[in-house]
Amino acid sequence: MTSLSVLAQATTGSTSEVVLFVVFAGIAIGAGIGMVAMRNIVHGALMLVINLLSLAGLYLLLQSSFLSIVQIIVYAGAIMVLFLFVIMLLGIDRDDLLVEVSPVGRGLAVVAGLGVVAMLGWGLIGPYTSSASVCDPDAAVVHTSDTQTCAGMDALLDQAESGSVEIVATDLFTRWTFPFEASALLLIVATLGAMLLGRRHDTDPDDDPAWEPSMRLPDTDDTGSTGDGPVDGDTTEGPAEPGDEVDEVEPDTEAPDDAPEMTPLGHDDAERDDAERDDAEPVAVGGDTGVGANPAPGDAGDDATRGRDA
Amino acid sequence: MPIGAYYLVAAIMFATGLVGILVRRNLIVLFMCVELMLNAVNLTLVAASRMWGGADGQVFVFFVIVVAAAEVVVGLALIVNIFFRRGSLDVDAQHLLEH
Repeated sequence: MTSLSVLAQATTGSTSEVVLFVVFAGIAIGAGIGMVAMRNIVHGALMLVINLLSLAGLYLLLQSSFLSIVQIIVYAGAIMVLFLFVIMLLGIDRDDLLVEVSPVGRGLAVVAGLGVVAMLGWGLIGPYTSSASVCDPDAAVVHTSDTQTCAGMDALLDQAESGSVEIVATDLFTRWTFPFEASALLLIVATLGAMLLGRRHDTDPDDDPAWEPSMRLPDTDDTGSTGDGPVDGDTTEGPAEPGDEVDEVEPDTEAPDDAPEMTPLGHDDAERDDAERDDAEPVAVGGDTGVGANPAPGDAGDDATRGRDA
Repeated sequence: MPIGAYYLVAAIMFATGLVGILVRRNLIVLFMCVELMLNAVNLTLVAASRMWGGADGQVFVFFVIVVAAAEVVVGLALIVNIFFRRGSLDVDAQHLLEH
């Protein structure tokens, strides 16, 4: 951290700041445009990483070394790794643009972007780009009424003993303590939400007629839809047969009819079905106790308990 | 450098993200464009923090980063779910409301 603060202090208000600003800003803008223009998503994500890293350099020039490090660790590290992880997980790192925006729409979008830049630049150039806005404490600044003076962080940094970390922490844990706690709550809720969204539905389809798998993978919970066949291997987790895949494309409509067979993976009912079918061969549909057309429910119940014990 | 130069860089980055949202069709790319715009605003806040000589802008950027991390976590989980349901991430797919 000391070398960072040395760099930050060495670059304030000097020509080296100009050089570093031009380099970092050029890389940031170029990488941003490259991210939008890249067809390959992985290349776009890597462009965004370059953009975020150069933004960390700009933060360093702005004398906020703490945020520079946070930017590198959180944004360029964690968030972009998450992006790349999802891109690789979904396998969409090939040419993704099957549907293109029309050239007219693209031209209109570019015009809109240039309009935004023109409007913002119209307000910025002048009052914020004069010599008074240069954050140089040594410069002879001409204060006029329509220019914005840059105060700079030097007064705060001189008070603090350990640089930008202390400045941010003092505010964060005195004035902004409650938002800080609230952000902790937000992170917990976001984690729980991500777990809930990423989880596979293991609910029993008997209980929920509107049951629908959240992920339609070929090897979703499939314990044999017809039930009469050799069910020994079907209850274990393995790749489903192609015929079963075709049957299970719309499981929500089929679920109430052959519900007893739609038992989730690893559930106790699967073993119970096997035990019942071994003992009572003529029964077409095994199912849960009391649901299927079982001639001897009491025996079936005993079998079920035996099957569970075994 | 005058502080307006940083503002201008942020404005250009924000417009780039805006153009990307208008032009691209892939959900993940749209998400990355949103991140670009968020970072443009962050740069504005840090520059303003230096300009006014206070730390409030940096604290606010800290909170923005926290919220962006939470947003990315939930948003990417949603994107994964959408991809497994619909098999594509094209935002112009026509069957959004047909199920």
